[in-house]
Parts: sequence; structure tokens; C-alpha cells
Amino acid sequence: MKHSLHTLAFLAVGLFAILPSAAHSQDVRTRLLDRGASVEFANQVAEIVDNARAEQLPTEPLVSKALEGWANRARVPQGRVIAALNQSVQRLRTGRQIGLAAGLNPLPGPVVSAAADAIGRGMSREQVGQVLGSATGPDVAATGLTVASALVAQGLATEAAVRVVGDAFRHGRPPEEILEFPSALTGIRAQGREMSEIARQIMQGGGLPSPTAPGMGGRGTRPQGVPGMPGDGQKKKKGSSGGL
Amino acid sequence: MTDEKRFSPEAQRYLDGETVNGLDQSELAAADLFGQVIQEYAASLRTPGAEVDRAVMDAIVPRARSHRPASLWRWLVQPHLFTVRPALVAAAAITLVAIGALTIDIPGFTDGEQAAGTTTGQPATILVRFELRAPDANEVTLAGSFNDWSPQGVQLVKNAASGLWTATVPLTPGEHQYLFVIDGSQWIPDPSAHAQVDDGFGQANSVIVVGPRGVVRS
Amino acid sequence: MGSQSDAVLVRRILDGQVELFQVLVERYRTEFGRYATAMLGGDVDDAADALQEAFIRAYRSLASCRDQERFKAWLFRIVSNQCHNTRRARRSHVSLDRIEEPEDSAAARRMDDAEIGQTIEAALNELTGEQREAFVLKHVEGYSYAEIASLLDVGEDALKMRVHRARDELRHKSEGLR
Repeated sequence: MKHSLHTLAFLAVGLFAILPSAAHSQDVRTRLLDRGASVEFANQVAEIVDNARAEQLPTEPLVSKALEGWANRARVPQGRVIAALNQSVQRLRTGRQIGLAAGLNPLPGPVVSAAADAIGRGMSREQVGQVLGSATGPDVAATGLTVASALVAQGLATEAAVRVVGDAFRHGRPPEEILEFPSALTGIRAQGREMSEIARQIMQGGGLPSPTAPGMGGRGTRPQGVPGMPGDGQKKKKGSSGGL
Repeated sequence: MTDEKRFSPEAQRYLDGETVNGLDQSELAAADLFGQVIQEYAASLRTPGAEVDRAVMDAIVPRARSHRPASLWRWLVQPHLFTVRPALVAAAAITLVAIGALTIDIPGFTDGEQAAGTTTGQPATILVRFELRAPDANEVTLAGSFNDWSPQGVQLVKNAASGLWTATVPLTPGEHQYLFVIDGSQWIPDPSAHAQVDDGFGQANSVIVVGPRGVVRS
Repeated sequence: MGSQSDAVLVRRILDGQVELFQVLVERYRTEFGRYATAMLGGDVDDAADALQEAFIRAYRSLASCRDQERFKAWLFRIVSNQCHNTRRARRSHVSLDRIEEPEDSAAARRMDDAEIGQTIEAALNELTGEQREAFVLKHVEGYSYAEIASLLDVGEDALKMRVHRARDELRHKSEGLR
């Protein structure tokens, strides 16, 4: 029961996270001005965001990127921010095309954003389409794409990243488990496993090796500053489920 | 003599931040000197560090044990976040960092990707600990997609002995990009993040993907 | 952005999510830390002890915080009481090493900082606890009178009188610094 509640919560996260937020995008101009941006820059950004909204693209990634660019103004020229926003718009368009081609209808904004990110990290249109095709529904497709592109950013071969997420969907893994994959990959790498070896196992249908193999358990210690956990020092339950 | 050592009512109002007309030069100078001295005094004061947090949490968490239902207790003791450190791997002893990563519903939580004011089906929030070793830094903050990239958003606290800066931040599950900001100007990636990705501006952002059980870092 | 309101955190903690108390501790250790140090003669160790005790007391009586929207003011009263208590205790028992040892030998600290600190300390010690508190909140923490009034539940006029009195005392003591 708890499990299904978690699943619901994650679905809610997915939906809330990616539905275009009118409140966020509408006030991007004000928010930039409040932070000291020039009127010209704020207007340029607002125009890009408005146009994207008119095209029914998700605007949240653009707003976030604009605020990031402005926060980095000491090292990022404003022209560069505008160029990056225009590039993001292009990727969002591509993301939407892929989503529509995968037959997702309605196509949630988060899926479009995640597809755009995946393209930006080197996944092919076909691979993005594969992940979307394997997802059990539009609400979890964004999670699958986010995880696949994170695994790629971690250094896993794109085909292995696509495969492991696709296999998880096919085996009925809930989205919250799939969100654990990047942490699991880090854990496995910390055990000294080579990325190529991990990719090979995935491509042979073996999934992501369990990070709960020997070496991940044992001494539970806690660094300074972490909230005290009762029973500290006792053997801890593993952080990830096995047989992903 | 006593009068000389008191501020005039006008000077007091001036120091209160009110608009004052007709404050004479010597009173103005005295008030300004006062402001300057107090500013230096305030700047010289040190503030208690993260050891307070540790002591408090150590004191209260065991206390909670006897008051909580068993299922909740299991949930509390379950380590949801752990950090894996390469140095310890080499010693075949991976350190698990158990931080209370909690499933909580927080209306109005915003992380730059999420609409504010959600009232139903609230997302889980996970406490994620960020660390950076920067012994020479005077200030370290965290700016990321979860706080609209505000360099003033999250301040890390320094452990004077180790030079380690830390902050614990509640994040929604999913991917977050961020950077550390040292002394207000130097933006640097987190070496222990899941990955570093192109920020579109020619440099890199750090990425973590927060799962329901927390984050494993390298 | 990205941070939850005190009220939400308090409700979650009372619902059993005890670990979230750390978020409040971090938040208000930073916010009230300088106040505590200034109230306790610049002694950061005393301030740490007082804050620690105050946070633990706050946690144990969290259920009595009825107006969770005003958690900050509620917590501040606990911190404030603790600081006043510690201060009273210190006055009756000031250890020699505290007097003789410089409180901080950090290289970054300039010589005249110590002198300024001592002078201000001497002046603040002449004040009542209430005056000192009002002065510290106004000039060390930089709160407005309205904010202080909200924290202390005291009228703004009374606060101004306390702060004005503190300034006069400080001016009196600091003549030598000119």
C-alpha cells in the first residue's frame, strides 16, 4: 500500500514538475529586473519565453536557464545567454516532435523538456523515441528520459542507458525505483567496476548490477553534521533494491 | 559633560534611519562614527557552527524513538541516503551516510521546476547533504535549479577544523543542476556529483538525480 | 525559493519526521547565532551552548507552538530566555581564563577589533538585559523596529527607548576611541 502511495507521489512530481508553469514564465521579465538585469536583456528573454509559450513548448527550462545565465553574468555575456536560450528552444521543438512521433497524446511538458535534455546530452532521436516507447505512460516517460540522459552524462554508453531504462519499464519497475539508477551506478562504480563492463551486463539483459553486493553494507558510519540516526553503527539496510 | 556623551534626539532619529533635518555637523560625525564602530563590532562576532546542529540532532533523535509507532520508526532508521567515498572503497569499507531522507508533502515547495502552491498529491522531499572542502574560502553557497540559481540561496557552514563546508537541503526527487559559489564570485562544480553536464554557456553544471532514498555520490 | 515555511516544517516534525528539525536548526542557528554571541559577551562557545540548549528545549515543547506561522518568534523567545539565563549565570561566575585569554587569536582579527569589542562589551554590560537585547537586534542583527517588536512582542516606542539608552551608554564608554 505504501508502495503505491509512493508511486502516486512520484506521478504527481512528474506532472507538477513538467507542466508549463504560467506563473513562472509570465514573470520572468520581472524576476530578471528584480535581480538587476537590464530592461533590454529582460525583454529579450521574455520575448523568447513568450514565443515558446505560443508554440506550446514548456517554458520552465527557458526561465531557469535565463535566471542561471543572469546569476552567472560575471562570466557569461548576455548575448551568450540569449544564444543558449535559442538553442534550448530548438531542442524543445525537437523533443516535442519526438514525443508526438512516439504517439504520446497528450504530450506533457516534462516529457518535452526531458527529451530536449536527452538530445542535448548526445542521445539520438531514435534512442529518445525508444525510451518513450517503452514507458508505461506519458506520466512516467519523463522520469525514464531524465534517468537515461543522467546515466549517459555519468559515462554509460547511450545504448546501455536506453536499454536499462527500457528493461525496467518492461519489467514493471515503478518510476521511483528508476530514479535510483544514477545513484546505483555511482555505487557500482565506487566498487571498482568498469563502465564498459556494466554496459556489457546491461546489454546482455542483466540489468544494472546490484550496488548492494558485498562491500556496500557493513559498517554504517555517519559523517559529522548529519542528523543523528538512532542505532548508528548498526548494520544498515541497503539504500537500493537489488536486481534492478 | 553628560550631555556631550548623549546623542541628541535628532541624532537618535538619524541612527534609527529616519529622515532628519538640522542635525549639526559634530552630532552627524558622532553618529556616523557610532555606526562605523558598531558595524565593525558586528563583523567581528563569530557565530556558532554546525557542531550545534549535530549536538541537537544527536540529543533529540534517540528521544523520538520511544514515541514513534514501529512503522514510522522503521522508516526513520532506514538509511535513505548514502555517500560512497572512493578512498574508503579502496579500503574495502564503504561508508554509508545515513541521512533522514523523508517522504514529506510540502505545499508550496518550489525548486525552479515545480509549480508553487501544490495542495494535493504533494511530492516527496528528500534531505540531501552537500559538501565541499574549501579551507580557504570565506563563504560558500549553493546555487541551482532548485533555488532559481540564486547565489544567496543556500549557505554552507564551515567546519573550521576540517575546512569542510556543508549544507542539508530538502529537494524533490528528480534531476537537479547546481554549482557551488565561493566567496560570491567563483562558481565551481561539485566533484562528487553524479555527473557534470554542459551548461550551454561553455562550462559545466553538476547534476544529481535524487531518488526516494537519497543520493549516492562518488 | 526552494525552502519550506517554518509552519510546514513544524507540522511535518510533529507528524514524526523528526529529521526535518535539522532544517530549522540550521536556519535559525545562522539567523540567531550572531545575536547569541553578542548577548553573551562575544563568547562563541557560550553562544553555541545556549543555542544548543534552546533548540533542544524548543524541540521538546514543539507541540506547544500553537501558532506555527509565528514559529520564528516562538523560537526566538526560547533562545532569548536561554541567553538571558546564561548571561546571568556568567555574571555570577566569570572564570579567570575567560578574562585573561583573548577570545579569538585568529590572525585575521585586527588589533583594534579587540579594543572595540572590549569597549562595546563594557558598555553593553552596563545595560539591562532588555536594553542589550534591543540594541543587539537593532544594530548587530540589523532588524527593523517592526521586526523586533514582532519578535519580542514589545511596542516600537519602548524598543526605541531601549536602543537609544544603549547608544548613549555606548557613546559614553567609547569616548576614548575617538
